[in-house]
Amino acid sequence: MRSDPDLAHAAARGSESAFAELVRRHQGKVRGMARRLAGSEATGDDIAQVTFLTAWQKISSYAGGTFSAWICTICFREFLQWRRRQKMEIEFDETAEIIPFDRSADQHEMRMDLTRALESLSEAQRVCVVLCVSTGLTHQEAADVTGWPLGTVKSHVQRGVALLRTRLENANVA
Amino acid sequence: MREQDAYKDLSDLFRVEDSALPAEPFTRQVMQGVSRQKMMRRAIVGSLGLAGAAIAAMQLPQLFAEWAGVDKTVTEVLATAPSELSTAAVNQLSTAAANNPMWLAIAAGAALCVFAVSAFERA
Repeated sequence: MRSDPDLAHAAARGSESAFAELVRRHQGKVRGMARRLAGSEATGDDIAQVTFLTAWQKISSYAGGTFSAWICTICFREFLQWRRRQKMEIEFDETAEIIPFDRSADQHEMRMDLTRALESLSEAQRVCVVLCVSTGLTHQEAADVTGWPLGTVKSHVQRGVALLRTRLENANVA
Repeated sequence: MREQDAYKDLSDLFRVEDSALPAEPFTRQVMQGVSRQKMMRRAIVGSLGLAGAAIAAMQLPQLFAEWAGVDKTVTEVLATAPSELSTAAVNQLSTAAANNPMWLAIAAGAALCVFAVSAFERA
């Protein structure tokens, strides 16, 4: 099986099949990340699609390293742009209260406990938990993606994970 | 212990959710977008190239109209330049040799090297 950097180099030379293979490999992770950040499946998929189109345009700038981290950085930037277009709060305020998601009618009434628990976190915690726990980036990679200090990312992940566990336990008890 | 090991159980839960997402329809959609982008890029580059070629072609009549004058000027310059250049070069060389005969030796050495290299190249 060809490695991600091999496929990326082939895609940079114009191979659409190599890029399609990269999309196939990473779509789950990127869609999951975008869905969890945006709080909506449809919007998340839109962001993920724009992410891959941007990746195709910029594939020649991929300079090796973890492809996941590279694509997740693009995804996070696309998420921020989407937020900006929504004219919502741009900057993440670490002391901010929990920002509720805008629920559209097409969303399922019954949501999984995991998603519900994730939505109960503060936005900064949610971003860090999504990047590190669900997407699998290291704390350093998440700090690079968000531009936040490493210590801030670590503490958000730690608190977010603890809260997530508590919520899941409560949900299981109920 | 790696930092990710502290929440491996939660990561596995998320991974199960992500791997359940069907890949093919999404991949097809993305690749359609890629093809559309590629076609649009080709159309833009092609149309700009055609526009450039058209502008260049429009200049050709003017170029041909002025060709006779240009041709005469170039011919005159080519005819007079060698004699002027060689006179100037001989003058400069003789001045340099008169000031310091070592220049002649250096020039002779350089000429010999160039001759030797060109002779070996041909061989």
